[in-house]
Amino acid sequence: MYRFWKQEPFPHQDSFFQTASGFPNRDWRGNTSCSAKSVHFVRTDPSRRVSPTEIVERESLVFGNGSVGIPMIQVENLTKQFHDLKMGPLFALDHVSFDVQPGEIFGLLGPNGAGKTTCLRIFSTVLKPTSGRASIAGYDVVKQPEQVRSHIGFMSNNTGIYDRMTAWEMVEYYGRLYGIPEDQLQPRLNEIFQTLQMDSIRDVLGSKMSTGMKQKVSIARTIVHDPPVLIFDEPTAGLDVLVARAVLETIADLKSKGKCIILSTHIMREVEKLCDRVAIIHRGKILALGTVPELVEQHQQPDIEEVFFKLIRDLDQSSGPPLTGAVSP
Amino acid sequence: MSWKNVQLIFLREVRDQLRDRRTLFMVAVLPLLLYPLLGVGMVQMTVTFSEQVRRVVIVGADQIPAPSLIQNHRLDPVYFDSPEAAEKLKLVTDLPDGLDNETDPAVRKKLEAFFADVAQREKRLERLGNIQRQLVKLPPSSPEAESPAEEERILREEFESWFSKSPAQVLIVFPKDFLKQYEIVSRKLKERSGEVSGTIIPPRPILLHNSANEKSEMAYRRVQHALQNWEDVLLGERLRDAGLPLSLPNPVPITKIDLAEATQLAANVWSKIFPALLVIMSVTGAFYPAIDLGAGEKERGTMETLLISPASRTEIVFGKFLTVMVFSLSTALLNLVSMGFTGKHMLSAIGAARSSPLGDLSFPPLESLIWVVLLALPLSALFSALSLSLAMFARSSKEGQYYLTPLLLVTMGLTMFCLNPSVELNPYYSVLPVTGPALLLKALLLGSTETPVALYAIPVLITSCGYSGLALWWATEQFQREDVLFREAERFEIGLWIRHLLREKEPTPSFSEAAVCFVLVALLQFLFLTSMQGSLEQLNSPQKLVTVQLIYLIATVGAPPLFMALLLTTNVRRTLKLTFPSWNILALGLVLAFSLQPLALELMGRLDRFFPPLPPGARQLLEAMGSGSVPLWLSLATFALAPAVCEELAFRGFILSGLQHSGRRWLPIVISALLFGVIHMIPKQQFNAALLGIVLGLLAARSGSLLPGLLFHFCFNGTQVLATRLTPADLETPFLGWFVKLTGEDDAAHLQFQPLTLILCGVISAALLWKLIRSDSGSNAPESAGPT
Repeated sequence: MYRFWKQEPFPHQDSFFQTASGFPNRDWRGNTSCSAKSVHFVRTDPSRRVSPTEIVERESLVFGNGSVGIPMIQVENLTKQFHDLKMGPLFALDHVSFDVQPGEIFGLLGPNGAGKTTCLRIFSTVLKPTSGRASIAGYDVVKQPEQVRSHIGFMSNNTGIYDRMTAWEMVEYYGRLYGIPEDQLQPRLNEIFQTLQMDSIRDVLGSKMSTGMKQKVSIARTIVHDPPVLIFDEPTAGLDVLVARAVLETIADLKSKGKCIILSTHIMREVEKLCDRVAIIHRGKILALGTVPELVEQHQQPDIEEVFFKLIRDLDQSSGPPLTGAVSP
Repeated sequence: MSWKNVQLIFLREVRDQLRDRRTLFMVAVLPLLLYPLLGVGMVQMTVTFSEQVRRVVIVGADQIPAPSLIQNHRLDPVYFDSPEAAEKLKLVTDLPDGLDNETDPAVRKKLEAFFADVAQREKRLERLGNIQRQLVKLPPSSPEAESPAEEERILREEFESWFSKSPAQVLIVFPKDFLKQYEIVSRKLKERSGEVSGTIIPPRPILLHNSANEKSEMAYRRVQHALQNWEDVLLGERLRDAGLPLSLPNPVPITKIDLAEATQLAANVWSKIFPALLVIMSVTGAFYPAIDLGAGEKERGTMETLLISPASRTEIVFGKFLTVMVFSLSTALLNLVSMGFTGKHMLSAIGAARSSPLGDLSFPPLESLIWVVLLALPLSALFSALSLSLAMFARSSKEGQYYLTPLLLVTMGLTMFCLNPSVELNPYYSVLPVTGPALLLKALLLGSTETPVALYAIPVLITSCGYSGLALWWATEQFQREDVLFREAERFEIGLWIRHLLREKEPTPSFSEAAVCFVLVALLQFLFLTSMQGSLEQLNSPQKLVTVQLIYLIATVGAPPLFMALLLTTNVRRTLKLTFPSWNILALGLVLAFSLQPLALELMGRLDRFFPPLPPGARQLLEAMGSGSVPLWLSLATFALAPAVCEELAFRGFILSGLQHSGRRWLPIVISALLFGVIHMIPKQQFNAALLGIVLGLLAARSGSLLPGLLFHFCFNGTQVLATRLTPADLETPFLGWFVKLTGEDDAAHLQFQPLTLILCGVISAALLWKLIRSDSGSNAPESAGPT
């Protein structure tokens, strides 16, 4: 179904610039989000036959050399409600709002069942919010899900790899799905396999890989199309120390390339070491938002862990006994 | 939708399935090996199979007239079809050397005792025979038949228990005087002296057998055949002796010529086997890969990886569908080929051993095989789409497996229905899901030239594509639902669920509540109809028939939605759309009722020949509608008012509100119209109802009120009721004559509309319908989609 393009009068309207990572017409490699100097018009490839975008009004649009101020992830009053037979209507997310800038690692810190996975799944367009808005790389998750998916890399415990495909085949398959042209695909794969030191497992089948290898393949799959936004849902869950460290190093490396990264965790060390800003979330609500030093000072606690426990305890005491078990999903 | 993505997904899935060596072996290689093995095994068994010899005991063998039935202690093989048949029966008689065939002394003793038994019971056996012959002539439930029937039952039970323990499978008893009387009749015939007919009734020999006992039955059939032949020979002898022509017993000697060709006989067999096999193979071949690709991937966690890629849901479903279809087709065709080759070799091996009624079961011609392959395509497509939808709907592989049995039962039921020789390809059947292609295949394999089979190919293929498309659309819908994609184990408790239903009511019903209402209405109708069948004789007057119909409508169609609305929703008024609409739409409905009437009647008239004829019950009802003995108000109430109120309450009230929960514009109207059509059991009415259901649904949805539809329905039906009361005299009046004219003779007279009327009505209806479609949904504010 096509919706009609609602146009607002805008100066540079008649020239269609390329913008944030759009294949297939131009080199997808550039750190597109940072150097976005143009209006966020997207001329979608007509052969894909996706409906034209609306111009999303941006207050913080900067022309010229500025790369700051264009949030790649914008969340406004995001709410997700489920209905459980026993517990009645449940808010997995309750009017959550935040922004994430490019070149930043944003952490979602919370206990199990807080709503982290729900939030990230909404970003990956796999779930739809009950109300509120979220836009990733300038695309609304509800109205333009396919564009959103083209511009993100998502990794979680539930995004597995195929048993009967080798590592190379797996990443190649997803590379093709993400639309990387054939002549650029092989060099890109070589590059990724080298960077992640996966050359030894190129031809190992998924079922025969260790956990660490599987994680590497997942990461390779996540970044194969060089997306501007990366979403990690508990990236080190179930991993041993060495592999976990390797994963965190990769994430830090990606940040240095200017990616916009959001990850969810309940491990304090990760938060301290990696995250620029952190949001503490519990029972679907954001209890605190800011950099680690800011929060430590604001709540007068020795470190982020104490801040976390204090906030959780306060909320639990005021709203009654905590929910048992994870709220699905 | 980009085909590149579909192709990517399809190729990957196929390669993935092919890499699963074990599954590949089970699916592809094993059948190819299994069928020949089975075939060889079966051939072995039949070759080494030797039938047990059955014993025929003849008492009074000295009374057998010449030429005798017995020769060399055996039944004379000349009376049997083949010498082997005679070999299978062992003969024991009460002649001095009659027991020579039995070597086992224990058996001889048993037989001697048996002879003594027979001598004792002979009189009673005769009596049983007489009573049975008597009872055949009397009607079953008449008073004269009572006591003989009772006596017969007692005797029969006594003999049955005795005979089952005896060593004989068939007992033939020739009475003591038989030979003498036989020769008297022959002599009298020869001399043409006295009255031969009627006066002397020779004593009748008795043949005792038990057709419920398979061994006895088999022996009996063989013996009976031989006895028939022997009797013919005896008759021939008698006539020749008497100097009478041999053609006496056969005054009209008809020569029967059978035109059957061996290939046609074989084609009959193939036309039954192939469609059934094709359906089974397609379903099973589609189902297991589908489960693996749908529910299996969800379990293994690779589904979400695919979901976050740019591929759209439709592309994913399509890619998987094509994979499943490839596997379904290859399974079906591989199995059929393997079975075909095995069958051919097997049958030729068995056929060499004995003459089979199938004759030479030649391999079907190449043309037939091509048809089989071609029609495997729509069948495969449909089953692949259905299996994939079920696989997407299932939350785990285990749950998915359980869906196979109902699917198989339904499809096999439909296929078995098609195999019945009297079921032929006609326009109605050609558009039904599985029956269409199956019947088309059957007709093509039979090679029948009477029905223009090629003509049916087009509707069959088009509708098959349509059904596959529908199933795929449903699969995509399931794929979008979060609770199907993600929720793992459900916590389901009956008490909680009921409490949830009753306490947390919503203002309007949900989709599943609407479905339950429909099922309830259908069930009640079914119950009512079947209970009515029994007491049909009591409904002898049209008035009673009409009254019963009125009650039935109110009880089965009107009551459920009312109760369900009261019980399950908080806003009964909005659920049943009991608001007053704008005058515009009301007037629109009223005018449409009259302007659509001629068009509908004309359409039904034209399409009459496509539908099967009305069942007798329906015809009775229709006659009752127009009969003079039923007062007009009652007729109107039953056929116009009650349907209007009840059916609107159900289909445009409760069910439509439930369907509208999803927030779409057209889907609820179409589905409620289809359901409305389905509920009318008669095909012709179904079609009519479905079309009108769309108009009614539009009226209800756009106005948010039941009243325009109710008015439409009442006027539409009402004018038809009034029309049955018209007399030819009424039609002469100038006003009515403008619109209609009477054609045909008295009895077959029916109304025909002037072309001018039709054109006028067509234009008015089209304009009004267009206006209706374009109007906003008025007071029926769209529901917020909510967590569906």
